[in-house]
Amino acid sequence: MFKVGSKLFLGLTGFSTLTLVAYLVFVERLALGGVALSMVLAALVGLSAVIIMINDGDSEVQPRDAALVRASMWPLVTVAGFVLLVLGLVVAKVYFIFGIVVVLAALTEWLVQAWSESASDDAAHNESARRRLLHPIEFPVIATLGLGVVIFAFSRIMLAISKSAGAVAFIVLASLVLLVGAIFALRPALKTTLVSGICVVGAVGIVAGGIAGQGVGLRADLVEALEEGHYTHRECGEEKSKYFDKKAMKTLSLRTNPIAVVELRDGVLSAVMTGFNDPQKSVSVPRGNAVTFIFRNFDTAERRMVASLGTAMAVDTNTEGDKEGHSDTNETCTQLIPQGAEQALTIVYSKPSIAQEAPLTLTVPGVEGQAIEVVVP
Amino acid sequence: MNHRGSFGRRDTTPFSVVMVKVRRLGQRVLVATGAVAVLGSCATNAPQDTWQPKGPNAKMIDDLQQPVFAVAGIIGIIVSVVITYAMWRYRDRGQPIPEQTHGKPALEITLTVIPALILAVVGVFTFRVIFDLARTDDTELVINVTGQQWWWEYDYPVQNEWGITQPIISSGQLVMPAGTKVLLRETSRDVIHSYWIPALNGKRDAVPGRIHTLRLEADEPGIYAGQCTEFCGLSHANMRMEAVALSKEDFAKWIANQQAAYRAPAEGTLAKEGESVFLNQCVRCHQVDGLKRPDGTLAIAAPDENVWSGAAPNLTKLMTRNTFAGAMFDLLRDACRDDVWKAKSAEFGAKYLAGVDETCLNVNDLRAWLRNAPEVKPMYANPALLADTNGKYRGMPNLGLSESDIDKLVAYLLTLK
Repeated sequence: MFKVGSKLFLGLTGFSTLTLVAYLVFVERLALGGVALSMVLAALVGLSAVIIMINDGDSEVQPRDAALVRASMWPLVTVAGFVLLVLGLVVAKVYFIFGIVVVLAALTEWLVQAWSESASDDAAHNESARRRLLHPIEFPVIATLGLGVVIFAFSRIMLAISKSAGAVAFIVLASLVLLVGAIFALRPALKTTLVSGICVVGAVGIVAGGIAGQGVGLRADLVEALEEGHYTHRECGEEKSKYFDKKAMKTLSLRTNPIAVVELRDGVLSAVMTGFNDPQKSVSVPRGNAVTFIFRNFDTAERRMVASLGTAMAVDTNTEGDKEGHSDTNETCTQLIPQGAEQALTIVYSKPSIAQEAPLTLTVPGVEGQAIEVVVP
Repeated sequence: MNHRGSFGRRDTTPFSVVMVKVRRLGQRVLVATGAVAVLGSCATNAPQDTWQPKGPNAKMIDDLQQPVFAVAGIIGIIVSVVITYAMWRYRDRGQPIPEQTHGKPALEITLTVIPALILAVVGVFTFRVIFDLARTDDTELVINVTGQQWWWEYDYPVQNEWGITQPIISSGQLVMPAGTKVLLRETSRDVIHSYWIPALNGKRDAVPGRIHTLRLEADEPGIYAGQCTEFCGLSHANMRMEAVALSKEDFAKWIANQQAAYRAPAEGTLAKEGESVFLNQCVRCHQVDGLKRPDGTLAIAAPDENVWSGAAPNLTKLMTRNTFAGAMFDLLRDACRDDVWKAKSAEFGAKYLAGVDETCLNVNDLRAWLRNAPEVKPMYANPALLADTNGKYRGMPNLGLSESDIDKLVAYLLTLK
């Protein structure tokens, strides 16, 4: 009843079942990984049923000629995958998932190689069959992994060197890529080994640079900017940080769909909203919903927008250890941005305007007499 | 020479038997679906019929879809007839497989160019309509629309030219002036919803964190039904909406009434007792603007603390609307509802503005809702299953109100006009 194909799929089904059980027990219940493994199991059960029903398509197993069987690294890789998988159960989910990927990939390679070696008595034909089946998968996967490593290594270099050196490095590298690419295009008769050699040398150079960059670590201003993050001081007045709040992004990808674009132009603050033909002085905002404002600074000085969020009760402990309640003003703000720059600010107003002691506003420190009222119905 | 090979044999393997059964089942499902579609087109009361535009925006879509549908229909019929003929004419009768040929450049180019030209023509008109429907520079009135599970909130920002001097907030029914270019600024508080009043325009998704715009304009006063068209959870099918178009004069009256101050029920009445019940129970989520607690402070609802979406319908002027519970239920009895829905344009405004009184109140559905809301509208409101939402409800829970409290609440809600 069970021929080679049936046994293969039943074995895979069993393996998938064990993997799913292990994942659910040791890693996480109701997680995406569990769903994915369930789908794999369901697919394998279906395929097993089909292959048993059709009696393996009446396939006949070719007697295997020992001379056609080549040495294979895949059993070793499969074992390594299993080690990772078991390690992942103890250490971290990422190893477990990586182990599953390695085991499945190695099993696929191993199975296809074993199948191809019994396809005919011609070793060359067998290898050709294996290539036809696996190369369309292997090449894109290997290329993606290779590119990923190169890009990651390049990012390590850029984060380690200074901004000006980074610009030079980027220009030089891009010019080299363009130059080499042009030579390859103009000289199609170049030897493949030469082309491959140049590409490998380039990739190895970048990876080596990346390793070195990782060893050096982030450049000083990035480290300091991380340490002085905006929410460690939270002031919405004069900026105290040395790096973090400087040279904020001058453009936003979030150009569409803000609730309002607040512009500071010629000392006047106004809200521009789709549907209103004229700039507005008040913005109606749905209660309990995240809304995004974009602040655009057309003033010559660096400016930030401050959103008042009403008041909230807070408790302090005085010097004698007694607790005292008081009302705190809540506010949040954008970073300081130069002329022509813009920043987004996303806010949730939980309470309606009528619950506030003072109107909710958007203001710009240093610009007197200008405010946008935020109305929360 | 016969090349039929193994395909000519009658296959009796279990797999083929299953496939035959699946094919038969598929045919039956196809026939049943076709029958339902044909019978569905015979409906006389179809307020959400996309083929009956009642405003210029919907008319633009209709003017585009009618000829496109006609062209697509003609092409569909031609293709179907040719395929059917080919299937019948060249069916397997045991004849040898004819000589196989490959490629006929002239035919292939022709059959590529003709559809491309048809699509290009359709594309030109489609793009024109899309851009016209996306216009916002001719807006006359702006209304903010916020979707949440499973109802729509309407917020009228301050617009002095319409007499809106303070924000108006409503739900269930979108009230707008007829013959006016209205722009909806849509967003959502929880998941993606989609706003659709078929008689007035196409659909537009309401997406959390984004503001999408949708033009609406009704030619005549009346009520236009709609439906959320993006699956949004358990009660998606019950997330309805109605756009109410009033003449400009009637719209001004509606605006004035919506901005009128809260009138507390008279002391000693059942409604006054209902106000106390409301303050004890309902105000945890539902806001009634102007309602005060016994100590004189304003009653501020806290849906952000109790509801997953952070909002519950504002019930100020509830009885000026004709629906409740996300427009799933009518506040009017059937006879009164028909009287409003079927009113002529000239009479519609007065009938709608009359609101809901005791004689017309659909008291059965309202009482059932107050008695146990999740029983009449499926919602995730089981207190035992709220771990994933930090104890917050999606929809209105069963408050365990007594029949006496329900009497009082109904009496109170009737005063909210």
